[in-house]
Amino acid sequence: MSASNDNAGHGHTASGHDAHGHGELQMGHHHVSSSAMFLNVLIALLILTAITVGASRIDFGSANLLIAMAIASVKASLVIAFFMHVKWDTAINKIVFLSSFLFLSLLFIFTLADQATRRMDDQALTTKTPVDKQWVHPSTLAEQKQ
Amino acid sequence: MSHDGHHSVVIPAPGPEFQSHTVAHHFDTPVQEFQSAKLGFWLFLATEILLFGGLFAAYFYYHQMYHETFHLGGQQLDWWLGALNTSVLLLSSWTMAMGVRSAQTSQKGKLLMYCGLTVLGAVIFLVIKFFEYKAKNEHGLIEFAHLFDGYNGATGQLSWFTDHDGVMAGVPHGHLFFAIYLTMTAIHGLHVIIGAGLIVWIMKGAAKGRFHAGYYLPVDLVGLYWHLVDLIWIFLFPLLYLVS
Repeated sequence: MSASNDNAGHGHTASGHDAHGHGELQMGHHHVSSSAMFLNVLIALLILTAITVGASRIDFGSANLLIAMAIASVKASLVIAFFMHVKWDTAINKIVFLSSFLFLSLLFIFTLADQATRRMDDQALTTKTPVDKQWVHPSTLAEQKQ
Repeated sequence: MSHDGHHSVVIPAPGPEFQSHTVAHHFDTPVQEFQSAKLGFWLFLATEILLFGGLFAAYFYYHQMYHETFHLGGQQLDWWLGALNTSVLLLSSWTMAMGVRSAQTSQKGKLLMYCGLTVLGAVIFLVIKFFEYKAKNEHGLIEFAHLFDGYNGATGQLSWFTDHDGVMAGVPHGHLFFAIYLTMTAIHGLHVIIGAGLIVWIMKGAAKGRFHAGYYLPVDLVGLYWHLVDLIWIFLFPLLYLVS
């Protein structure tokens, strides 16, 4: 590591690192993942895809959706951590990106909590118009009057 | 530019086939430039998560309300085409990750090759998606010619959902599944098209030798965008194709 990075004619060279020093990249301590690791992640993702399809063939009742989402979350975590390099990213970048999932969970929790605690007329799962007649789209009213 | 008392910061090219990079004048160091751009891009990706998140919330809401509609709707999709497209996107995410790695290690030829393979993956994905949409169109489940025609005045029915084979008869609001399917996959497909365009732009820069170990920021950011496209599809595949 040279004491000064000054080059003739330029204020600085690329960075504070000695580019030829320790096999480090010039732009800070950026992590370069090995090809083998990327291949392992790809194989894991493809296997998990097969498991997703397999699990959907078995009837677990309403748990099917939860199982599918759990496997998808594992796959997403692999993509985020390794392909997107979040594992080696700075703390602020981790916070910014991962906080979006926190806010997303608020959206899901309040939306689904509202639905789960709402009573819908007699038939629990169908919405009804407040008046006792078939709903028609306004665009069809003109034809009916003729 | 020395008129303001600053010198340009130049990242030298690692070899004759590469170009040097001049750090934008409003940054003091290459690291500052890299981290600023990256923080901004992560913020953008967070908004993308929230964009799709709203659609996923709509999916879950209506799935809970009309689960028979979603089960029957999911059966109308070819799950093996969905699984094939999932594999294509996962493979292309891998080639993109390898492309970024090639840029980080100043391997120009490999960067071009991996980016080319990623674009090929995008094209295969879109071709498969096209044939899926075509089949839905033929069965009257999503009639693209009448997508914006609203309700048919004579029948009071949706113009784009005629379901002339009656596959969705007997479940309430059969069109709902296909409305959500089209909205989510079309916005996702738009991201595939934009991502492929960005990767082609990266290839143009890579051919000129712009990207190397000293400067690979655009490759890194486009890579993140492409992985996000893959990330969204990882959730779309089981929700749309495997709900039956």
